[in-house]
Amino acid sequence: MSSLADKARQKPYWRSLAELENTPEFEEFLQREFPVAASEYPQGVSRRRWLQLMGASFALAGAAGCRWEQDEILPFTQRPMGRTPGVPVHYATAMELSGVASGLLVTSYDGRPTKIEGNPEHPHNQGATDLYAQASTLELYDPDRSTAPRHRDADDENGQDDDDPAQLWKQFESQLAKRRSGWQATSGRGLRVLAEPSSSPTLWAARQKLLEAFPEAKWYGYEPLSRGNELAGSTAALGKAYRTHFDLSKAVRVVCLDADLLGSDPASVRYSREFAEARDPDAETMARLYVVESTFSTTGAAADHRLPLRAEQIDALARALEAEIVAQSDAADVEQHGKLAEAPHGGFLAEEPIVKFVHEVAADLVAHRGQSVVAIGARQPPHVHALGHRINALLGNIGQTVSYTAEPETTPADQTADFAALCDELRGGEIDSLLILGGNPVYDGPADCGFAEALSNVEFTAHLSVYDNETSRACLWHLPRAHYLESWGDARAWDGVYSVIQPLIEPLYNGRTAIELSALVAGGETKSGEELVRQTFSELAGSDASDGAWKKLLHDGFLAESGWATETPQLDEGHREAIDSYVIDEALLSVDPPGGDDLEIVFSQDASVYDGRFANSSWLQELPDFMTKLTWDNVALVSQATAKALGIKHSTLVQLAHGEHTVDVPAYIMPGQPDGSITVHLGYGRTAAGFVGGDVANEVEPVGVDFYRLRTSTAPHFARGLRVTTTNRNYTLASTQDHFAIDPVGIDGIEDRVGQLIREGTLDEYKHHPDFAQHEVHHPPLESLWDERSYEEADYKWGMAIDLNKCTGCNACVIACQAENNVPVVGKEQVRRGREMHWIRIDRYYSGDVANPRLVHQPVTCQQCEMAPCEQVCPVGATAHNSEGLNDMAYNRCIGTRYCSNNCPYKVRRFNYFNYSRGQYGKFQDTESEKSLVLQMVRNPEVTVRSRGVMEKCTFCVQRIRTTTIVAENERRPIADGEIKTACQQVCPSQAISFGDLQDDNAEVAKQHASPRAYAMLAELNVKPRNLFLARVRNPNPHLEAEATNDHSHHS
Amino acid sequence: MTTAIIRSDDTSVDDATQRAPLVTGEHDLASVTSVVSSVVEQPPTTTGWKIAITISSLLMLNLFGLLGYLIWTGVGVWGNMSPVMWGWPIVNFVFWIGIGHAGTLISAILFLFRQKWRTSINRAAEAMTIFAVMCAGLYPGVHIGRVWVFYWMFPIPNQMAMWPQFRSPLLWDVFAVGTYFTVSLLFWYMGMVPDLATLRDRATTRVRQMIYGIFALGWRGSNRQWHRYERAYLLLAALATPLVLSVHSVVSFDFAVSQLPGWHTTIFPPYFVAGAIFGGFAMVLFLMVPAREFFGLKDLVTMRHIENMNKILLATGMMVGYAYSVELFISWYSGSYYERFAFINRALGPYSWAYFSMIFCNVVSPQVFWFKWARTNVWVTWIVSILVTIGMWFERFVIIVTSLARDFLPANWGIFKPTWVDIMMFAGTFGLFLTFFLLFCRYLPMIAVAEIKGVMPHGPSTNGHGNGSVAAPQTASP
Repeated sequence: MSSLADKARQKPYWRSLAELENTPEFEEFLQREFPVAASEYPQGVSRRRWLQLMGASFALAGAAGCRWEQDEILPFTQRPMGRTPGVPVHYATAMELSGVASGLLVTSYDGRPTKIEGNPEHPHNQGATDLYAQASTLELYDPDRSTAPRHRDADDENGQDDDDPAQLWKQFESQLAKRRSGWQATSGRGLRVLAEPSSSPTLWAARQKLLEAFPEAKWYGYEPLSRGNELAGSTAALGKAYRTHFDLSKAVRVVCLDADLLGSDPASVRYSREFAEARDPDAETMARLYVVESTFSTTGAAADHRLPLRAEQIDALARALEAEIVAQSDAADVEQHGKLAEAPHGGFLAEEPIVKFVHEVAADLVAHRGQSVVAIGARQPPHVHALGHRINALLGNIGQTVSYTAEPETTPADQTADFAALCDELRGGEIDSLLILGGNPVYDGPADCGFAEALSNVEFTAHLSVYDNETSRACLWHLPRAHYLESWGDARAWDGVYSVIQPLIEPLYNGRTAIELSALVAGGETKSGEELVRQTFSELAGSDASDGAWKKLLHDGFLAESGWATETPQLDEGHREAIDSYVIDEALLSVDPPGGDDLEIVFSQDASVYDGRFANSSWLQELPDFMTKLTWDNVALVSQATAKALGIKHSTLVQLAHGEHTVDVPAYIMPGQPDGSITVHLGYGRTAAGFVGGDVANEVEPVGVDFYRLRTSTAPHFARGLRVTTTNRNYTLASTQDHFAIDPVGIDGIEDRVGQLIREGTLDEYKHHPDFAQHEVHHPPLESLWDERSYEEADYKWGMAIDLNKCTGCNACVIACQAENNVPVVGKEQVRRGREMHWIRIDRYYSGDVANPRLVHQPVTCQQCEMAPCEQVCPVGATAHNSEGLNDMAYNRCIGTRYCSNNCPYKVRRFNYFNYSRGQYGKFQDTESEKSLVLQMVRNPEVTVRSRGVMEKCTFCVQRIRTTTIVAENERRPIADGEIKTACQQVCPSQAISFGDLQDDNAEVAKQHASPRAYAMLAELNVKPRNLFLARVRNPNPHLEAEATNDHSHHS
Repeated sequence: MTTAIIRSDDTSVDDATQRAPLVTGEHDLASVTSVVSSVVEQPPTTTGWKIAITISSLLMLNLFGLLGYLIWTGVGVWGNMSPVMWGWPIVNFVFWIGIGHAGTLISAILFLFRQKWRTSINRAAEAMTIFAVMCAGLYPGVHIGRVWVFYWMFPIPNQMAMWPQFRSPLLWDVFAVGTYFTVSLLFWYMGMVPDLATLRDRATTRVRQMIYGIFALGWRGSNRQWHRYERAYLLLAALATPLVLSVHSVVSFDFAVSQLPGWHTTIFPPYFVAGAIFGGFAMVLFLMVPAREFFGLKDLVTMRHIENMNKILLATGMMVGYAYSVELFISWYSGSYYERFAFINRALGPYSWAYFSMIFCNVVSPQVFWFKWARTNVWVTWIVSILVTIGMWFERFVIIVTSLARDFLPANWGIFKPTWVDIMMFAGTFGLFLTFFLLFCRYLPMIAVAEIKGVMPHGPSTNGHGNGSVAAPQTASP
């Protein structure tokens, strides 16, 4: 045994002499107390222990983010400067989704990231995020994430069980090293990499390195929801692949042809904000939105005029629109762009309403030359995109409201073709190694490519993935991937702004990033992500890449002025040929929709689970779809007329057959769905997602059905030839609204009142009667039964305003609230029973013609009534008013009589029928397993976790109010307006929610309350809500007014 | 003691020249004692009683099991949901509380109004009240989300400085039901003391003698004791009378004080009280019609008694019907949109089947009692009493569930579906109720012997009936 002094020199820190001596007792102690290294996943570790670990790890965190170099545990008694235990810190980072980064600001409590906000400085987000970013903390702590590399034949090969992840990584590395020597000999001929497309410059550099090292190797990119058509369209129209950017804040006329700018678009956060600005009814010109679409979308709901058409018909309509624009424009304006072949006519295009629609839209666009936007949806074929560019050019929008940046080299030009080519190569037998970085091609690859089968021809396959998913299970090696919140990386925002990803926590599950793995494959040595990212930054920043600049990057989260340069390309001469070469089939123009054996099927991105990658997120699974209000399922959306023609009943199973495959799916009769077209959402039916999304091997039923089985590489977006067979089997959908078929009495009731609950008028009405909303309901003077509370003594009087004119229904607030307030998930069965727990919900109703209704919606939180009816009936005084006018809820006093909810006219109170916070009765986590304890880490420590039998509701984020009040009081100053933001307000991309002190006349919320559009819902009950809604103002085209019926008939 | 035996069996014939006898058959004071006591002492219907108690106690055990399951698991085992946060449990609570009305009404109010025919039925009706209130009281207790802190509803000074919130009708409920139960129990028990002493004195075994002896509180039938007893009985009757009216009025406040359309109605207190009397009498009939048959008490609970109760059913049924129509009228007359919708929806919406079941059972079916043959037919009586019991349950269901299911915002509307736990627990409360009632029939004097003697002719000079006082001129000993 060597001397202790020697050992002490080797170990910079130690805890006891026994450790230095490495006695067996100490070894055992280590095993017992830390089965894995302290920084790794804490199996069965208590929350207190976790905090100790995390707190301690901060003690060693460097200035750069929160990475620490060593694993030693030190008490917080020697805490670093500027850190107070329990006081959260915020770090800027970024989340990349489909190659687009959003800049985030992450709240971290003692080393534990709990809440995501948009980075207010980041030019793309400006403080808002989409719902996927909001839900990503849950993914970080998902107990179903894989914890160690897994070799398919692990049991056979190793014999003894070797669970040590580090050891397994070493095994993988040694196998890789053997492979590498083989590739070096063949220049990597047998090596293929299939990566999820990423805009990360570091990953691109790693790719270049890899291809340099192995020139014969190939690197493919694939993702099911690609923008390939858009790129091909811009190549055809403008000569090269461009990314189109719209400036909706400047556009006064917007036409979306199957484009969901405010919903599924990669830039939707930005567009929502800009569109909300342009929709200000008090501005000189208020924007007007026309939408022609194949599925009712968020954008369609915001439209002033909406026209449902099958996806395949949009081409014809776009051409008719183009022809009409050319006809109405000054010859001089359009001359330079040449003329297209004659536009299609006849059929549905000759129908009176369509003719009028096209004529008026064209007139409106021509009248606003250079101030309009025509957007084409990602699912439309390339020539329609080319047509879109042409129309924008004809209207003089390019350079005004439409700008272009060159599509970065990181975006694969045609992912579907790449993928098909890869599959062919794999089948050819020449390929011996395939490395899959992220993605889940076995699940979401086109059905006709036969990827899973082709994969079996490859000897050495490795899949880097956050979950051990379908693809991982088909590969030789599964490698755990580090979540973005625990890793280094970088990516570019939609406009190219270089955004850095920095870890908030040491990898929980031994994951590595795609960057690290690619660097390992390319260079054969393990490099830290930080090193690689910093190298990229040095190259990007050039001579400015000082330590200070690096720190500033980490502080800001992005590199200023790093966006791509905008270009104003001219239409390419060939664009006319590209468009004209597609001749529209006469049959498409037919007025009659296709029949039951040749329907159109439209594959759509899901608003909750995206392409299926978020299927294991219980927050997202339980998020009610904006349109259908469904949770935990996907359905076949069918129009009422088509359902009637085919004998389809709502909420019964139908069999959809397309190509060789059939799937059974519940039918959902969707108002505003075009006839003859069925829309299905991708991303469900996962068989190896996890305990939430489905894991067949472990007897967890998949959620919903998988439509990738019907999706082919030739028609990934929409196709004809869908056959529908009805079964009369009922299926109970888990919906948060319209749980049942509504009878005539109910329909009348809805018709009569929705106009009063959600008030809206036209711009014209607003100009003439700005206070139209306040005259929707008249009631006699209201007397209070007792003396009303006075707030003269109070420092603050909190209130909220929700501008219905801005809200798009994106649902981000719902998830933000869930993350902020520890709102539990209840599971499908409980949602069916009507026991969902969301504190903020979005009510939606339809109005008008069922074939093309208008949609009205309204986010509803607790209205924080001044004369709260809930308070008066609580026998134990568990809900009471505080001195600042908030309706408080004392959870630990509540005994659960539920009387308050009965007496709440808005029904915003939620009751814990079971121990939802512990997963009781919601089949969404493996409550048996100790692993699921890690889920508790996602909770906000500032908010009480509610137990069974307790009522809960929106508090206006009282914890945020208190935190800020404490700070302000310590600083002896009043709270400034805007200093407190509620979670829903902060995340809202369109900034529809304002919150603040109603006593301060200059506060934003007070101004909103003073708006003539402000009204209280159910004011006639004299409950005096603290939240006011601002009525929505629509801006219909007066020439199309006849179509936009003004009747207030509503139905669900 | 063999004088003045009334032979007429048909007491329902109205003869203007004399009052109809309240006891029929060849009964004297001694035989009345032995008829009632023999039920306790030598059960004539052993097999039937055993079968009945087996079924009902199994149902009761099922209730206890489900209570355990409920408390262990959470109130989510019921069908309650948003917006119908109160479902069957509260429907059942109001239903049982309503049933618990007839007993005290018969004992106290009819006593004060000198309705002597009450003496044959008041004991059983009071027992029914006690058991019904027990069933009712069970629900609010276990209905709350955190059963283990139910005592926070009571004003108990505590170190947490918590105090109930007195504006809440639920709190009023706690006091109203608690007081009602206490007073009813005292009233019932006190009225039973002389009869318990009779049973003690007739006891043939030591155990019986001791047990009845303890509960008889040393009653010896002295004049002084009778004097005190009479005074106390009168006072308790006077105390209980306002409670009969108040308890269901307060229960109705749970609804009337809220602002939910369909609940927020000023007619509720009288309407609930009328409904409770209606339902309570139906339950008395439902129990007494078979009981008088099985236990051979037809001479004491005569056809005239049944006819009188049927008349009350007819009268209160029409009051309830009137309340239903006034509700509809006022919802229209109020001009309040939400109010009007609540009632249209109640009658014609998804729950119209429940509404029309209620109308049929409560308003239509008692109309048969306009006819004397129906009033004096035990089968018709029994069937109508069952229908009314069902109808009164539906009344509560209609009020509670249909109003909650569709309130202000259509996005919140929902349809309530009970779970098996809801259904089995309701069946279980019947088990509890019937078990206690069967035990009561078997072990306690089902008819107030001492009181009935007071309304019987006794003494050589009387000819037909008592002199109006309840003074019983004899000791309880045979």
